[in-house]
Amino acid sequence: MSLPEIASFILLLAGAVFFFAGTLGLLRFPDVYTRLHALAKADNLGLGLIVLGLLFKAPGAAMSIKLALVWLLALAASATASFLIARRARQHSIAPWRSGEHE
Amino acid sequence: MKPAPPLVWAVIWRTALFVLLWWVLSDGRLDSWTVGSGSVALATLLSLRLSPPTRGRVSFPGLLRFLTYFVFQSLRGGIQVAWFAMRPQTGLRPAMREIDLRLPEGIGRVLLINTLNLLPGTLSVELQGRQLCLHVLDEHVSAEAEVRMAETFLARTLRLELEPA
Repeated sequence: MSLPEIASFILLLAGAVFFFAGTLGLLRFPDVYTRLHALAKADNLGLGLIVLGLLFKAPGAAMSIKLALVWLLALAASATASFLIARRARQHSIAPWRSGEHE
Repeated sequence: MKPAPPLVWAVIWRTALFVLLWWVLSDGRLDSWTVGSGSVALATLLSLRLSPPTRGRVSFPGLLRFLTYFVFQSLRGGIQVAWFAMRPQTGLRPAMREIDLRLPEGIGRVLLINTLNLLPGTLSVELQGRQLCLHVLDEHVSAEAEVRMAETFLARTLRLELEPA
Protein backbone atom coordinates (compact mmCIF):
# COMPACT_ATOMS: atom_id res chain seq x y z
CA MET A 1 0.00 0.00 0.00
CA SER A 2 1.20 3.49 -0.80
CA LEU A 3 1.36 6.25 1.78
CA PRO A 4 -1.83 8.06 0.68
CA GLU A 5 -3.69 4.74 0.75
CA ILE A 6 -2.53 4.07 4.31
CA ALA A 7 -3.47 7.60 5.39
CA SER A 8 -6.86 7.22 3.76
CA PHE A 9 -7.42 3.86 5.46
CA ILE A 10 -6.54 5.20 8.90
CA LEU A 11 -8.80 8.25 8.50
CA LEU A 12 -11.75 6.13 7.30
CA LEU A 13 -11.28 3.72 10.19
CA ALA A 14 -11.10 6.56 12.73
CA GLY A 15 -14.25 8.06 11.23
CA ALA A 16 -16.08 4.77 11.64
CA VAL A 17 -14.97 4.59 15.28
CA PHE A 18 -16.54 7.99 15.99
CA PHE A 19 -19.79 7.05 14.25
CA PHE A 20 -19.84 3.92 16.40
CA ALA A 21 -19.23 5.99 19.54
CA GLY A 22 -21.99 8.41 18.56
CA THR A 23 -24.45 5.58 18.12
CA LEU A 24 -23.37 4.04 21.40
CA GLY A 25 -23.98 7.40 23.08
CA LEU A 26 -27.41 7.63 21.48
CA LEU A 27 -28.31 4.28 23.02
CA ARG A 28 -26.62 4.70 26.40
CA PHE A 29 -27.08 8.35 27.36
CA PRO A 30 -29.92 9.07 29.78
CA ASP A 31 -32.05 11.80 28.17
CA VAL A 32 -32.83 13.66 24.97
CA TYR A 33 -30.34 16.49 25.62
CA THR A 34 -27.32 14.29 26.28
CA ARG A 35 -28.23 12.10 23.28
CA LEU A 36 -28.22 15.15 21.04
CA HIS A 37 -24.69 15.91 22.26
CA ALA A 38 -23.60 12.41 21.29
CA LEU A 39 -25.09 12.61 17.80
CA ALA A 40 -24.00 16.12 16.85
CA LYS A 41 -20.40 15.92 18.08
CA ALA A 42 -19.50 12.37 17.17
CA ASP A 43 -21.10 12.59 13.73
CA ASN A 44 -19.41 15.90 12.98
CA LEU A 45 -16.01 14.41 13.69
CA GLY A 46 -16.84 11.00 12.19
CA LEU A 47 -18.07 12.45 8.93
CA GLY A 48 -15.17 14.94 8.89
CA LEU A 49 -12.63 12.11 9.14
CA ILE A 50 -14.40 10.02 6.50
CA VAL A 51 -14.52 12.98 4.12
CA LEU A 52 -10.80 13.59 4.74
CA GLY A 53 -10.07 9.94 4.06
CA LEU A 54 -12.06 10.02 0.83
CA LEU A 55 -10.26 13.19 -0.32
CA PHE A 56 -7.16 11.02 -0.79
CA LYS A 57 -9.11 8.94 -3.29
CA ALA A 58 -10.95 11.82 -5.02
CA PRO A 59 -10.33 11.83 -8.78
CA GLY A 60 -10.35 15.60 -9.20
CA ALA A 61 -10.96 19.07 -7.79
CA ALA A 62 -14.70 18.98 -8.48
CA MET A 63 -15.13 15.80 -6.45
CA SER A 64 -12.98 17.17 -3.60
CA ILE A 65 -15.09 20.31 -3.32
CA LYS A 66 -18.24 18.19 -3.49
CA LEU A 67 -17.02 16.08 -0.57
CA ALA A 68 -16.22 19.18 1.49
CA LEU A 69 -19.69 20.55 0.70
CA VAL A 70 -21.30 17.34 1.90
CA TRP A 71 -19.55 17.78 5.23
CA LEU A 72 -20.57 21.45 5.54
CA LEU A 73 -24.22 20.76 4.69
CA ALA A 74 -24.35 17.83 7.10
CA LEU A 75 -22.87 20.04 9.84
CA ALA A 76 -25.39 22.80 9.24
CA ALA A 77 -28.25 20.28 9.22
CA SER A 78 -27.16 18.43 12.37
CA ALA A 79 -26.48 21.63 14.34
CA THR A 80 -29.82 23.14 13.38
CA ALA A 81 -31.74 19.92 13.98
CA SER A 82 -30.17 19.49 17.46
CA PHE A 83 -31.17 23.03 18.40
CA LEU A 84 -34.76 22.56 17.18
CA ILE A 85 -35.19 19.21 18.96
CA ALA A 86 -33.67 20.56 22.19
CA ARG A 87 -35.89 23.65 22.09
CA ARG A 88 -39.01 21.56 21.51
CA ALA A 89 -38.05 19.28 24.40
CA ARG A 90 -37.69 22.28 26.70
CA GLN A 91 -40.98 23.80 25.58
CA HIS A 92 -42.60 20.48 26.50
CA SER A 93 -40.95 20.85 29.93
CA ILE A 94 -38.83 17.73 29.58
CA ALA A 95 -36.47 18.05 32.54
CA PRO A 96 -32.81 17.36 31.86
CA TRP A 97 -31.40 14.29 33.58
CA ARG A 98 -29.18 15.07 36.58
CA SER A 99 -26.46 12.74 37.83
CA GLY A 100 -27.15 11.26 41.24
CA GLU A 101 -30.95 11.63 41.08
CA HIS A 102 -31.75 8.39 39.30
CA GLU A 103 -28.80 6.20 40.10
CA MET B 1 -21.32 51.43 9.78
CA LYS B 2 -20.11 51.18 6.23
CA PRO B 3 -22.34 52.09 3.28
CA ALA B 4 -24.12 49.23 1.52
CA PRO B 5 -22.04 47.68 -1.27
CA PRO B 6 -23.52 48.16 -4.74
CA LEU B 7 -25.91 45.46 -5.80
CA VAL B 8 -23.66 44.77 -8.79
CA TRP B 9 -20.94 43.34 -6.56
CA ALA B 10 -23.34 41.06 -4.76
CA VAL B 11 -24.64 39.78 -8.11
CA ILE B 12 -21.10 39.15 -9.41
CA TRP B 13 -19.96 37.35 -6.25
CA ARG B 14 -23.03 35.18 -5.96
CA THR B 15 -23.11 34.30 -9.65
CA ALA B 16 -19.46 33.22 -9.43
CA LEU B 17 -20.27 31.10 -6.39
CA PHE B 18 -23.20 29.38 -8.08
CA VAL B 19 -21.19 28.81 -11.27
CA LEU B 20 -18.55 27.07 -9.14
CA LEU B 21 -21.27 25.06 -7.39
CA TRP B 22 -22.78 23.93 -10.69
CA TRP B 23 -19.37 22.97 -11.99
CA VAL B 24 -18.83 20.89 -8.86
CA LEU B 25 -22.23 19.22 -9.02
CA SER B 26 -21.99 18.40 -12.74
CA ASP B 27 -18.40 17.12 -12.45
CA GLY B 28 -17.28 19.72 -14.99
CA ARG B 29 -19.37 18.36 -17.86
CA LEU B 30 -19.78 21.00 -20.57
CA ASP B 31 -23.06 19.71 -22.03
CA SER B 32 -24.82 20.40 -18.71
CA TRP B 33 -24.48 24.16 -19.00
CA THR B 34 -27.74 24.69 -20.95
CA VAL B 35 -29.60 23.68 -17.81
CA GLY B 36 -26.79 25.02 -15.65
CA SER B 37 -26.88 28.64 -16.79
CA GLY B 38 -30.61 28.84 -16.12
CA SER B 39 -30.17 27.27 -12.70
CA VAL B 40 -27.35 29.65 -11.81
CA ALA B 41 -29.46 32.67 -12.81
CA LEU B 42 -32.46 31.43 -10.80
CA ALA B 43 -30.32 30.60 -7.78
CA THR B 44 -28.72 34.05 -7.83
CA LEU B 45 -32.12 35.78 -8.05
CA LEU B 46 -33.54 33.63 -5.27
CA SER B 47 -30.53 34.25 -3.02
CA LEU B 48 -30.83 38.02 -3.50
CA ARG B 49 -34.49 37.79 -2.53
CA LEU B 50 -34.00 35.50 0.48
CA SER B 51 -30.86 37.16 1.77
CA PRO B 52 -30.45 40.73 0.48
CA PRO B 53 -26.87 42.04 0.37
CA THR B 54 -25.81 43.67 3.64
CA ARG B 55 -23.06 46.06 4.63
CA GLY B 56 -21.24 43.37 6.65
CA ARG B 57 -18.17 41.88 5.07
CA VAL B 58 -16.31 38.76 6.03
CA SER B 59 -12.73 39.10 7.22
CA PHE B 60 -10.65 36.34 5.65
CA PRO B 61 -7.89 36.21 8.30
CA GLY B 62 -10.70 36.10 10.86
CA LEU B 63 -12.43 33.28 8.97
CA LEU B 64 -9.20 31.31 8.79
CA ARG B 65 -8.66 31.65 12.54
CA PHE B 66 -12.26 30.70 13.20
CA LEU B 67 -11.95 27.58 11.03
CA THR B 68 -8.72 26.49 12.73
CA TYR B 69 -10.33 26.96 16.13
CA PHE B 70 -13.45 25.12 14.93
CA VAL B 71 -11.52 22.11 13.61
CA PHE B 72 -9.54 21.67 16.84
CA GLN B 73 -12.63 22.10 19.00
CA SER B 74 -14.54 19.58 16.85
CA LEU B 75 -11.76 17.10 17.48
CA ARG B 76 -11.93 17.78 21.22
CA GLY B 77 -15.73 17.60 21.25
CA GLY B 78 -15.88 14.34 19.32
CA ILE B 79 -13.25 12.67 21.48
CA GLN B 80 -14.93 13.88 24.68
CA VAL B 81 -18.35 12.58 23.75
CA ALA B 82 -16.91 9.30 22.43
CA TRP B 83 -15.11 8.88 25.75
CA PHE B 84 -18.34 9.45 27.70
CA ALA B 85 -20.17 6.98 25.44
CA MET B 86 -17.64 4.16 25.67
CA ARG B 87 -16.78 4.29 29.39
CA PRO B 88 -18.36 1.60 31.56
CA GLN B 89 -19.95 4.37 33.68
CA THR B 90 -20.70 7.36 31.48
CA GLY B 91 -19.88 9.80 34.30
CA LEU B 92 -22.06 12.50 32.73
CA ARG B 93 -22.76 15.54 34.89
CA PRO B 94 -25.15 17.56 32.75
CA ALA B 95 -26.64 20.90 33.73
CA MET B 96 -28.51 23.86 32.26
CA ARG B 97 -26.82 27.23 32.06
CA GLU B 98 -28.10 30.64 31.07
CA ILE B 99 -25.78 33.10 29.40
CA ASP B 100 -26.30 36.62 28.06
CA LEU B 101 -24.90 36.80 24.54
CA ARG B 102 -22.60 39.61 23.53
CA LEU B 103 -22.98 39.18 19.78
CA PRO B 104 -25.58 41.51 18.23
CA GLU B 105 -28.80 40.05 16.87
CA GLY B 106 -28.70 38.54 13.39
CA ILE B 107 -26.52 36.14 11.44
CA GLY B 108 -23.82 36.19 14.16
CA ARG B 109 -26.15 34.72 16.77
CA VAL B 110 -27.49 32.10 14.37
CA LEU B 111 -23.95 30.98 13.57
CA LEU B 112 -23.03 31.01 17.25
CA ILE B 113 -25.94 28.76 18.22
CA ASN B 114 -25.04 26.30 15.48
CA THR B 115 -21.34 26.43 16.32
CA LEU B 116 -21.98 25.77 20.01
CA ASN B 117 -23.90 22.61 19.10
CA LEU B 118 -20.76 21.24 17.48
CA LEU B 119 -18.32 22.43 20.15
CA PRO B 120 -17.28 20.27 23.13
CA GLY B 121 -19.92 19.82 25.81
CA THR B 122 -22.38 22.55 24.81
CA LEU B 123 -25.87 22.32 23.27
CA SER B 124 -28.00 25.40 22.54
CA VAL B 125 -31.51 24.84 23.84
CA GLU B 126 -33.33 28.14 23.58
CA LEU B 127 -32.73 31.76 22.74
CA GLN B 128 -34.95 34.40 24.34
CA GLY B 129 -33.92 37.91 23.48
CA ARG B 130 -30.21 37.86 24.15
CA GLN B 131 -30.39 35.16 26.79
CA LEU B 132 -29.17 31.77 25.59
CA CYS B 133 -30.17 28.63 27.43
CA LEU B 134 -27.38 26.09 27.15
CA HIS B 135 -27.19 22.41 28.06
CA VAL B 136 -23.72 21.31 29.18
CA LEU B 137 -22.37 17.78 29.55
CA ASP B 138 -20.09 18.57 32.47
CA GLU B 139 -21.27 21.10 35.03
CA HIS B 140 -17.73 21.66 36.30
CA VAL B 141 -16.56 23.10 33.00
CA SER B 142 -17.19 26.80 32.48
CA ALA B 143 -19.70 27.05 29.66
CA GLU B 144 -19.35 30.79 29.71
CA ALA B 145 -15.66 30.61 28.77
CA GLU B 146 -16.53 28.45 25.73
CA VAL B 147 -19.29 30.82 24.64
CA ARG B 148 -17.10 33.92 25.02
CA MET B 149 -14.35 32.30 22.99
CA ALA B 150 -16.70 31.32 20.16
CA GLU B 151 -18.22 34.82 20.24
CA THR B 152 -14.84 36.49 19.92
CA PHE B 153 -13.87 34.37 16.93
CA LEU B 154 -17.21 34.91 15.19
CA ALA B 155 -17.16 38.65 15.88
CA ARG B 156 -13.74 38.95 14.26
CA THR B 157 -14.83 36.90 11.25
CA LEU B 158 -18.00 38.91 10.64
CA ARG B 159 -16.51 42.25 11.77
CA LEU B 160 -19.14 42.65 14.47
CA GLU B 161 -18.90 44.67 17.66
CA LEU B 162 -19.46 42.74 20.89
CA GLU B 163 -21.98 44.27 23.27
CA PRO B 164 -21.13 44.52 26.98
CA ALA B 165 -22.22 41.38 28.85
